[in-house]
Amino acid sequence: MGDLLFNFTEWLRSTMLVELALWISDTSLSFWIVTHFWAIPIFQVIHILAIAAAFGAALMMSLRLLNIAGGNRTVPEVGRRYFPWLWWGLLTLVVSGFFMIVGEPVRELINPIFWIKMALVIALVVLTIGFQKAVVRRAETGGATWRASGGVRASAFLLLILWCLIMAGGRWIAYAPV
Amino acid sequence: MMYPEPTNIWQSLEFSSLGIYIAESTWAFPTLETFHVIGLVTVIGTIMVMDLRLLGLASGTVPVTRMSKDTLPWTWAGFILAAITGGLLFISKASSYVINPYFLWKMGLLVLAGLNMLVFHFLTYRTVTHWDEGVQGMPFGAKVAGVLSLLFWIAVVFFGRAIGFTLGFYY
Repeated sequence: MGDLLFNFTEWLRSTMLVELALWISDTSLSFWIVTHFWAIPIFQVIHILAIAAAFGAALMMSLRLLNIAGGNRTVPEVGRRYFPWLWWGLLTLVVSGFFMIVGEPVRELINPIFWIKMALVIALVVLTIGFQKAVVRRAETGGATWRASGGVRASAFLLLILWCLIMAGGRWIAYAPV
Repeated sequence: MMYPEPTNIWQSLEFSSLGIYIAESTWAFPTLETFHVIGLVTVIGTIMVMDLRLLGLASGTVPVTRMSKDTLPWTWAGFILAAITGGLLFISKASSYVINPYFLWKMGLLVLAGLNMLVFHFLTYRTVTHWDEGVQGMPFGAKVAGVLSLLFWIAVVFFGRAIGFTLGFYY
């Protein structure tokens, strides 16, 4: 695993990402972030709070589908409560993440774990869009007494695991051999 | 001998075999941090859901008692995970943490968040049957508890993150 990541880093170093990262670090925005001690910590705080909002929403939605919580409302009702929080949370994550990249472009862009995390984020977004559509459609045709199928429940659970893997990636970015 | 003889309780923790193991291992500290993050976002994510209900801003069709029952087990599960992993992170650098003002602020705010929860649960919550289904007319005590909870937990995250940026500053 260590060798694989090391080779990944070596490859990243041979790409245009190096010039891109150096170019970003020359921008005035990057300079502003670097010269303000609290900028990075505050973007990280916003990032963590947005994970809490989005992951909390995903958790409550999954618990409803698994019939563990929220049973007094129909699935479409619960979906209308939590899906917007999931998506606004994700948008906040992208924006705060953007500033974190601009502040530390080499640490992020020349980092194998960063790119693994980005691939997982894209997978999460695509899978969540499909999941949301499928759940809402099935729940609406199924009526008030609809119960999620085994496939829907397994997907709900696996999406939470994917969230956890992305969080792990976020933490391990700081420890990757760059 | 690699480590000096401990002269206080924090050094005893730090130079315990567990403390040394976490500090020296390449994977232990980041792995504990990962589970700490998963625990704390679960705590704050579910508390936010409850706080917004108390403020009448979201989930208006869910009775407060029901919302409490749906979220609280997950809040506690997340809290236990964050507390255990946080405790293990702490002992690996105990003497650096106890002199870090941000760490002390974080502990203070956790106490305030806990007191806020106790006041809400043992005073405000006693009359919950009168406002269980309420949205607009939530009692003042419930709204204050919701706002304070949001503020305290945001501050806990801020001070938690600040520790990581200032650990070497104080000695």
